[in-house]
Amino acid sequence: MSRPLRFVRSAFAALLAAGACSGCAFNPPQPWEKGNLARQEMTMGGDPLDQRFVQHIYGSKENASGGYGVGGGGCGCN
Amino acid sequence: MAATERSDRAGAIIAAALALPGVCAHAENAPEHGVVAVKYLHYQDSQPGLQRIRVEAPSLYVLAPLGSRWSVEGSAVYDSVSGATPRYHTAISGATPHMTEERKAGDVKVTRYNERSSFGVGVSHSSERDYKSTAGSFEAGFTSDDGNRTWNFGLGYASDTIGSTNDATLHESRRTAEAQVGVTQAWSANDLFQLNLTYVGGRGYFSDPYKEPDIRPRKRDEAIVLVRWNHYFDGAGATLRSAYRFYRDSFRINAHTLGAEWVQQVGSMVTVTPSVRLYTQSAASFYFDPVYDPDVGAPYPPGYFTNPPQYISPDQRLSAFGAVTVGLKLGVQITPDWTTDLKAEHYEQRGSWRVGGTGSPGLDPFRATFVQVGVAKRF
Repeated sequence: MSRPLRFVRSAFAALLAAGACSGCAFNPPQPWEKGNLARQEMTMGGDPLDQRFVQHIYGSKENASGGYGVGGGGCGCN
Repeated sequence: MAATERSDRAGAIIAAALALPGVCAHAENAPEHGVVAVKYLHYQDSQPGLQRIRVEAPSLYVLAPLGSRWSVEGSAVYDSVSGATPRYHTAISGATPHMTEERKAGDVKVTRYNERSSFGVGVSHSSERDYKSTAGSFEAGFTSDDGNRTWNFGLGYASDTIGSTNDATLHESRRTAEAQVGVTQAWSANDLFQLNLTYVGGRGYFSDPYKEPDIRPRKRDEAIVLVRWNHYFDGAGATLRSAYRFYRDSFRINAHTLGAEWVQQVGSMVTVTPSVRLYTQSAASFYFDPVYDPDVGAPYPPGYFTNPPQYISPDQRLSAFGAVTVGLKLGVQITPDWTTDLKAEHYEQRGSWRVGGTGSPGLDPFRATFVQVGVAKRF
């Protein structure tokens, strides 16, 4: 098994472990229990301009980038 | 009165829940409200003895629902860049002369919402004097019957052209394709998990025309795993936003990124968000440490002229290092429709901070400060 695939397997294990350690058993909510999930700060995207800024900065100062979405182009940032 | 306000607030949150993609029975509705946001970013980086790059960047973001089935969103940014950067490693004597540059970038995305699915098409463009990039994307989301799980699929393609202000004859290009699959799961009433897998394949010019000597492979493949977990703490009235990303590419760089934000509600109008981000990466297989040929000197490594390597780079960004960012964000809900925020972050990277191996020696620490201030209006 290649290293990326091994890591995907580990990531799934970490996901399950994180859920178990947090004390939150897998208990998907009913429609009337989703008030907290609807809070702005609970969304994965967060503040769109903030995210664009910081991802652009990190992408120009570190080698790793991406993973959050598709469609961004490159830049000649130094 | 207070009870009425609480009831209204709870009603608003539940209504928002019923409109949030991936979180409710009717998951794939267009957003009920539009948003206009402006932000201003100040960025300055440095190393001991050298103020490097400064960026001033105003930006605009618009999200507008078009009926109940469509939405359009877009952003625009103007970067004003000035300063100097080392041509190799962190050598101040080899830094480029003071330069100024501007970058204009924008993107637009249109999304169609169906009963349990959504489809989005986006385009973006970025233009600098020596670099132009055009990209397109397609995304699709499919939500389970109970609204607790959403599968996301994305495809992207980018075409870049690269020049150099130092070399008018340089006309290079690069093509990049990416594919992503992800799942977002409402784990409980207070937990949201996400897993994204991304593969990126790039062909073309990856060298940096402002580094010397710098010859990189004309192919780079990247694999990225992203895990995010958001948890709401009822008792504290706070949200923990956490993320872990693994990155690996064909330059033989492995990188790990761990981030956490604590969003603390203070009263009904204010949020305070401290954050920390940890990053570490190994070096590219063709990066060389700042040890130079005893006869020729910097920036050439020993043996460069007698036995030149196929690929080589003195770029600090390809070295092995670790980095830490700490930040603080203050958000204020001025009225139900107006918000403002201020965020300051400090970033530092050092070879000795690499985790899981030895960092690259002989490089100065790199530091950056970024501050952003913004205001947004919902309509």
